[in-house]
Amino acid sequence: MNKQNNIVGYALVTIGMVLASAALIVGCAQPRPDTQAERDFSRMSPEAYAEYLIFRSGSFNLDQATQEGTTAADRMTQDVLQRMCSEARNRPQPELAVRIVGAARDSIVYPEGGIQLGDWRQGAELARSGTGFRIGHNVDDHSQPVGGNCYACHQLDPDELGFGNLGPSLAAYGALRGDSEAVRKFVYDMIYNPHSFFPCTQMPRFGVNQFLTQESIAHIMAYLLDPESPVNSRHAR
Amino acid sequence: MLKNILAGVALAGSLVGGAMASDSPYLTGREQLLMLADDNPAELTQWRGEDLFHEVRGPKNASLERCDFGLGPGVLKGAYVRMPRWFEDAGRVMDLESRIIHCMKTLQGFTDQDDPIARKHSSDTREADLVAIYTYVASQSNGMKWNPPMNHPMERLTRNAGEVLFHRRAGSMDFACATCHTTPRKRIRLSFLPVESNVEEWSKAISWPAYRIGHGVVRTSQHRVRGCYYQMRQAGIQFGSDASIAIISYWTHQARGGVATLPDLKR
Repeated sequence: MNKQNNIVGYALVTIGMVLASAALIVGCAQPRPDTQAERDFSRMSPEAYAEYLIFRSGSFNLDQATQEGTTAADRMTQDVLQRMCSEARNRPQPELAVRIVGAARDSIVYPEGGIQLGDWRQGAELARSGTGFRIGHNVDDHSQPVGGNCYACHQLDPDELGFGNLGPSLAAYGALRGDSEAVRKFVYDMIYNPHSFFPCTQMPRFGVNQFLTQESIAHIMAYLLDPESPVNSRHAR
Repeated sequence: MLKNILAGVALAGSLVGGAMASDSPYLTGREQLLMLADDNPAELTQWRGEDLFHEVRGPKNASLERCDFGLGPGVLKGAYVRMPRWFEDAGRVMDLESRIIHCMKTLQGFTDQDDPIARKHSSDTREADLVAIYTYVASQSNGMKWNPPMNHPMERLTRNAGEVLFHRRAGSMDFACATCHTTPRKRIRLSFLPVESNVEEWSKAISWPAYRIGHGVVRTSQHRVRGCYYQMRQAGIQFGSDASIAIISYWTHQARGGVATLPDLKR
């Protein structure tokens, strides 16, 4: 009985949402007015007005081509994770957090032949480079390798003083943890989709978003885990 | 041990801050900025802006002295800290940069193609007139408290949508403005980040125009918004667009009650 009531309730909510989105679509179909004064925004929610500002007010250069072959409009379109974490202000309630972690785990694609380490020297370059995927007034040239910009947020090589602290220190990462299968998998997952461990983390999904190639991920992982890498070798001194 | 070291660094920071009596690393972490604060090169820009503001220019042979920044024609004192605001004559919420352009068009007869309006940002070789005039008008609110009006419904909707945009994650790196500006005492590389909920930090952080030491020129609010969307790998934001003004409206609201430093000096 209770369950039935719930179902009726959901149905009503769903109908309401359909009607609301239909109203929104009708609203969008109207010709765009020139000024804020000519259009009645008074019934719009801040969320609806924000979407209007992004997609229909001419505020963004939405037609610009991106390096991944789409347009800037696609960059502004949120996927489910971006939307849920934005709405939750990055503090998801437990149920949502569990769902996000589950979906994130399902999103991870592993390289054929297992997770291998690349060349830590190339990883060092990629960890320092902030080049890649910027558009707008100065489009990044992707004939250069796309960097992970790890140092913006993490300490890695203890001799590199220019590191950020939005993320935890990763100095001596491999020296402290070793290079087991489990460690490799954790590091790979964290780079590919960190929401698989930290739902609504601020860290980018470098794999899901196809920001870093498999080759680049392998180089950066070597920088973190290879005993020869300065991230680890300086630890012993 | 590490905790002790950090506490020591924080203490040193507050001693360097001295007069500010702050333990905010954003405000006190860069000795260089504190030492240079009294010799801000932006003053040169401000003086040039003052000349340009009073100069008779454009097809209509007029100065900007009759421009209304919200407190009546020609009233500059305290006008900037009460912006963005709704302007009935333009039918939209405007920030200072948009309002100056509005007056260059209506009073002086300049068009979008004319250099004084077309050149939005300064370069190594050429300072934009717009930046100079902006710096002069803003300087007339130095030391005052940020206090943007929220009387008109569009002022409130603009601010509220700005808050949504501030927290809206999108793009190749899943970033939002909030990514860098909600957790206290954080850095990107060596740059300390101001936090939107800390009025002391935020009222200084949004104090544009500022001479950017790293750029060697004076930068504006619109330039900061553009730079943030660029680094977030989101779409290029248009100068003076409603979305850019919504962001500025929200960030100014968050600084309400804090003191404006105009012009400012930044990294």
